Amino acid sequence: MNAAFWILSAMSLIGALLAISLRNLVHCVLSLILFFLGIAGHYFLLRADFLGAVQILIYIGAVAVLILFAIMLTRNVTGTEGPRELFGLGWWTGLGTALIVAAVVWVTVDSAPQAATRSPGQAVSSVEQIGKSLLNQWVVPLEVLGVLLTAALIGAVVIALEEVVRRR
Amino acid sequence: MEKLYQLLDGCKWLANVPDSLLSAVAIVVPILLIITVFPGIFAYTTLIERKALGRVQNRYGPNRVGRWGILQPIADGVKLLTKEDIVPRKADKFVHLLAPILAVIPSLLLFAVLPVGPGLVPVDLHIGILFVFAISTASVLALFMGGWASRNKFSLLGAMRAVAQVVSYEVPMVLAAVAVVMAAGTLSTVGIVAKQSGGFLSVTNWFVFQPWGFVGFVLFTIGAMAESARTPFDIPEAESEIIAGYHTEYSGFKFALFQLGEYLAAIAMAGITVTMFLGGYNGPGVGLKYIGPLIGVGWFFAKLMTIILVIIWIRGTWPRIRVDQLMAFAWKVLLPMSILNIVAVGLWHYMESKLWAWLVTAAWLLIWAIVLTKIGTAQNVERRTYRYAT
Amino acid sequence: MSITLGQYLILSGILFAVGLCGALTRRNAIIVLMGIEIMFNAGILNLVVFWHYQHFATLTPQMFAIFAIAVAAAESAIGLALVIAIYRHYKSVDVDEMRALKG
Repeated sequence: MNAAFWILSAMSLIGALLAISLRNLVHCVLSLILFFLGIAGHYFLLRADFLGAVQILIYIGAVAVLILFAIMLTRNVTGTEGPRELFGLGWWTGLGTALIVAAVVWVTVDSAPQAATRSPGQAVSSVEQIGKSLLNQWVVPLEVLGVLLTAALIGAVVIALEEVVRRR
Repeated sequence: MEKLYQLLDGCKWLANVPDSLLSAVAIVVPILLIITVFPGIFAYTTLIERKALGRVQNRYGPNRVGRWGILQPIADGVKLLTKEDIVPRKADKFVHLLAPILAVIPSLLLFAVLPVGPGLVPVDLHIGILFVFAISTASVLALFMGGWASRNKFSLLGAMRAVAQVVSYEVPMVLAAVAVVMAAGTLSTVGIVAKQSGGFLSVTNWFVFQPWGFVGFVLFTIGAMAESARTPFDIPEAESEIIAGYHTEYSGFKFALFQLGEYLAAIAMAGITVTMFLGGYNGPGVGLKYIGPLIGVGWFFAKLMTIILVIIWIRGTWPRIRVDQLMAFAWKVLLPMSILNIVAVGLWHYMESKLWAWLVTAAWLLIWAIVLTKIGTAQNVERRTYRYAT
Repeated sequence: MSITLGQYLILSGILFAVGLCGALTRRNAIIVLMGIEIMFNAGILNLVVFWHYQHFATLTPQMFAIFAIAVAAAESAIGLALVIAIYRHYKSVDVDEMRALKG
């Protein structure tokens, strides 16, 4: 089990690092897909099967395709990003902020006594449980989510719609 | 796979083999079986398709290589393997290589949850059907990457159309499967087949013989044909339309991999159709004691080949749908029909008397099918105006 | 020795920091959105980790995670539609060039 954790963590970490640092946009999206696969693997490792399958279905099946479509529709002439100023001020600021956030998280986790010794509980989820609680306890958020997704669908279509030029 | 493990466990007294070796064997044997059996079915499906299409078009299919063209797939394989592998100069080499690989992997993974016989499923996932749909949405990426990496405008256009088509037809397909999941009460493929067992001759409990099951079967088959880009939905790869769409610039083994991925996806989707609607391995004689599993496997493959033959038959006889008609059909007819099918399953489940359940669901589905067909296929074509003719 | 809660939390913290660095550093709007997706995923991983390591049976964190994934998908759809609309106007997706509201 340990080997699986380290392999999946390496996969997601390398995927995320490459996704934000590669030059070619399509290669960035491919490493983002590797990242999503690593996270889905983590979900399966944490006994959340339904969530892992949903992660693959939604993120790799829909969000990654959406990003690819957006890249295709907004292509620069050369197809890649222009010369990036490496080691410019913006780059150092971003890297510095990220390192500060990571350091804060690390120090907080290390100083919590339970975090080092907490062992996994007996939590196992079944799809039936999830379905029942979605329709009994969580029905209002479910309906609101439906309205939200419909609004997002209509909104995305309206925003990205081309203006129809009427030539008569 | 677990059955194999138990079988091997029972033979432990023969030799003192460690547990890890037994589990390794229990994992490797189903994988080897999948890798040999289903691509073998793919190879002979290509031959059957060419001969069947030939007969539909009033000619013989290939019959030179071997007695009735039996060795034709082997000849095709040798030809494709020895062809030169041409990559366009400005193409993205890594993505160009990755696209056919990503076309094959999801199609092979789909076979892991097909129950070919009683107790004969490689992995019994309790989220089986969700796994199937997650993996088949991941195969959309291969289409796009194949079109993008070739640096060819026609490839890109074919890829965009293919992705739009696949993504649009996935929705009614998944909703038709949701109806089956509602009726069976479980997402596991083994559970869905078990729900369809029993009945007279193990036939009458199949979901296809119930009104919502029949509509779901039609919806799912249409969606499966559109997923694998088979005629009448083969705009992405139609030779007279767009040369070869997203696999224009591929030659040799990469082209063979694309074909393998596409046909395997079609066979796997046919297998899922058989599992969900046609009772899987159920058929007369499957309950017998010792030869029951063998008969079950035989029934599964017989039904699978029947569905594949029907798909090939439809390819030979029906014309291609235009790309705007295709989208309109998916969003305006199939999607509402699949949602109303879900309502029909709910009605079926909660009505006490069978007769009323039959009448009400059949009437509901029939009325909505007629209404949607009238609405969805109404063409408002303007009168043609000629610009230069007098 | 199995994996402790602390190791998972450090992993999701590092992933969040990677996403944050990407969102702050890159100039291409699409990669900024990808960095935001990485941050989303790290946060949802955190939720699921806490669900796994608790000792009482409730499904609340998983429900939260399902809703968060759905909301993230909707947000990325709207974000990418906005990027496409902006590209039509500015003819580029460089975030440094979109300074019409500045100053």
